[in-house]
Amino acid sequence: MQFDSFTFLVFFALVLAIYNAIAAWSARKWFLLLASYIFYAAWNAPFLLLLIASTTLDWWIAQRIDAATETRQRKGWIVATLLVNLSVLGYFKYSRFLLDNFAALLGTLGVHYVPAKLDIVLPIGISFYTFHSLSYCLDIYRGKFAPTRSWRDYALYVGFFPQLVAGPIVRFTQMRAQIEIPRRSTAAGLGLGLTLLVLGLFEKIVLADSIFAPVADALFNKPQAAGSALAWSGTFAFTGQIFCDFAGYSSCALGAALALGFTLPINFRNPYAAIGFSDFWRRWHISLSSWLRDYLYIGLGGNRHGAWRMYLNLMLTMLIGGLWHGAAWTFVVWGGLHGIYLCIERAIREQLAPARWQQNAIVRFGYGLLTLFGVMLAWIWFRASDFSSAWLIQSKLFDVSTLRAGIIASGSDQRIAVVTLLALVVVHWLFRERDIKQLFTRMHPLLLGLLLAIMLSMVVLSPGENHAFIYFQF
Amino acid sequence: MLSSTSSSDSASTESGGGKRWLVAWLIALSLVAATLGTVEYHWRGRGYRPTILDSTLLWSVQRDRVYAQSKTPLLLLGASRIEFGVDMKVMRELLPRYLPIMLAVNAHYPLATLRDLADDENFHGLILCDVDSVGLLREYNEMQREYVQYFHRQWTPSWHLHRALLNGWQAHALIADPAFSIVASTRRWLDNTAEPFHNYVDFHADRSGDLDFSRTDAEAIKRHFADTLEGNLAGMPKRTADEWLADLAPIGVWAKRIEARGGRVIFFQSPVHGMQQTAIDRAMPRVLYWDRFASTVTIALSGVDEPSLNVFPLPDDSHLDYHDKPAYTRALVDVLVAHGLLQR
Repeated sequence: MQFDSFTFLVFFALVLAIYNAIAAWSARKWFLLLASYIFYAAWNAPFLLLLIASTTLDWWIAQRIDAATETRQRKGWIVATLLVNLSVLGYFKYSRFLLDNFAALLGTLGVHYVPAKLDIVLPIGISFYTFHSLSYCLDIYRGKFAPTRSWRDYALYVGFFPQLVAGPIVRFTQMRAQIEIPRRSTAAGLGLGLTLLVLGLFEKIVLADSIFAPVADALFNKPQAAGSALAWSGTFAFTGQIFCDFAGYSSCALGAALALGFTLPINFRNPYAAIGFSDFWRRWHISLSSWLRDYLYIGLGGNRHGAWRMYLNLMLTMLIGGLWHGAAWTFVVWGGLHGIYLCIERAIREQLAPARWQQNAIVRFGYGLLTLFGVMLAWIWFRASDFSSAWLIQSKLFDVSTLRAGIIASGSDQRIAVVTLLALVVVHWLFRERDIKQLFTRMHPLLLGLLLAIMLSMVVLSPGENHAFIYFQF
Repeated sequence: MLSSTSSSDSASTESGGGKRWLVAWLIALSLVAATLGTVEYHWRGRGYRPTILDSTLLWSVQRDRVYAQSKTPLLLLGASRIEFGVDMKVMRELLPRYLPIMLAVNAHYPLATLRDLADDENFHGLILCDVDSVGLLREYNEMQREYVQYFHRQWTPSWHLHRALLNGWQAHALIADPAFSIVASTRRWLDNTAEPFHNYVDFHADRSGDLDFSRTDAEAIKRHFADTLEGNLAGMPKRTADEWLADLAPIGVWAKRIEARGGRVIFFQSPVHGMQQTAIDRAMPRVLYWDRFASTVTIALSGVDEPSLNVFPLPDDSHLDYHDKPAYTRALVDVLVAHGLLQR
């Protein structure tokens, strides 16, 4: 079920009530696991079996890794879990993509091959829970901690409903104590948790769905018909939509967990105020970027083998990160663009720009704007349905001959979207170094009440058909 | 380069006393209640009233019911004429052996749904498919596809519960209508455009609707419908009656598949009058179109041939006023029973 549905309101109210009514911690954990599985089964009940099977297998393999005394055995088990998890992910997510590309490759060699039409449904959240499981097994393999003997505790770590479907991707070390040491809802946790829930719903329902999505859809669904002004406003709109959609989900996840007494890591920290692309990735989808850094970039050798190898690793990490988002070359280009940005930035920082320039306020602000522009250009590739659409939109951005007339003729929906994005960017800059949870916690109750009232009223006053969160498809 | 999460992620859940949160939330909820109440009061004062809004979810609630075993499912397919023409309560009372289910969609001809039901081996019920010669044009075949696809790909018990709760909200709150949303209102204000259209439809959770022509200008709608129909027909690729009929071959196959499973498909053409009738007759003369199609399927009726149905006034030449719905429904049931297609 979705956070922005009446079903979730009923579900969450029931979960909160029953969870706090149960006295024993063990029983409360069983209840949370059951609730999490009901939450997941609401999408597609048969895939719950896949989640349980995957969870059980990884829990068991982690113990085999820990019990293995020889390096060869440990390697064998870790390879086994990597193969199993990546095969399952590959089958559901990349079969069609691989077959299509194989057919295209054969086509270039003059061999006509039409792959069988696969009608594979992607199990929701599979990319996220696979990464949960992999990080757990890899950490056990690296000897960072001993595996849990409790299947229920491990299953709750993987399946905890606020983060099960679209993250944040939580490490076991961040959850272990929270699962093992009894906790319950507190007044403060409930207050802040519900506030984050409202913030998330505001970002998703009001900003992403009501303001940004229609303008972004107008551009990306019919790029041929768009002029330069719509290319700009649509790109602005998608820049706002993707953030508000995903950060909205993350806020809801953090809020729901906090209301139950659990703390999940923050996944976004004002990314549109980033100064530089490495700074952007410290602020955008933090749990994924840190996962890729710790388990992929460092696994590839990181920066331990010289500059060129480091650049290569950086590019590979971003390309694979792009492909993680979806089985399409447009995602690879998106990742590749960010890889190029990061490589150029690192080269300039280390070899060309003196430290004093890097600290100059005007330079930093200008570089912040450049970063935002680079990120926006890359979003075009993330959202476009194919190469030609992305290229067309990108070229229309620079078609200044029609821009002025297009701006004059632009509709109020476009103007609202552009102004809202600019306001969002200003908010990100104003609160660049502030933590949203601390901000809410320290705010005067009157001001907080007013802010909550505005957000909640706007949420209720933004009815519409429910849209799935964008990150569900990943 | 990529960075890790920082320690500041773990904001304490204990920070900030419970009292301040309680104060903040009480203020918030009071303000929200006052704001929403004011907005609701404002729009109601301008003559608007709440209604259920149709959607793929609401359609799927009904689509779920076609497998009923205790009674014979009686599916009503079509577009607005049957959706706003049949009184579901009266039909339930007159036909206790059947389970009437409204699957018609306003402004969407029904062939995609008919095809889906033909493909559904678990469906064995009766279908009253309201469609005219225009609605059988190839260009309109996929109009209900979005509904069918939603049902098969996304519909879950979770959404069922959501829609049931949404029905309650929409039935009682005008602000549940997107036409009155804050973004829509802001756009109207910026564009200096008129307030939302005063709807003359009351839509129900069972997906039937009531048209109250006393709340609108029926003459203007009549002209609008006629102009739209003429425009649509003029914009269609030209094809002969033979070509049109050749396109309809699959429809007969679908009907036969349903009949082979013990079901039945009744093709029915609701009566239309005035400019609508003239436009259809001019573009697609009955003898060359509807009558030839009717001869290719097992059961096809035309409301125009039934005096008891054709006698009802159609204020916009196409639809009944809600006052006439019960009587029309009784007449329709009488006709179907008289033809031996339904049993009381």
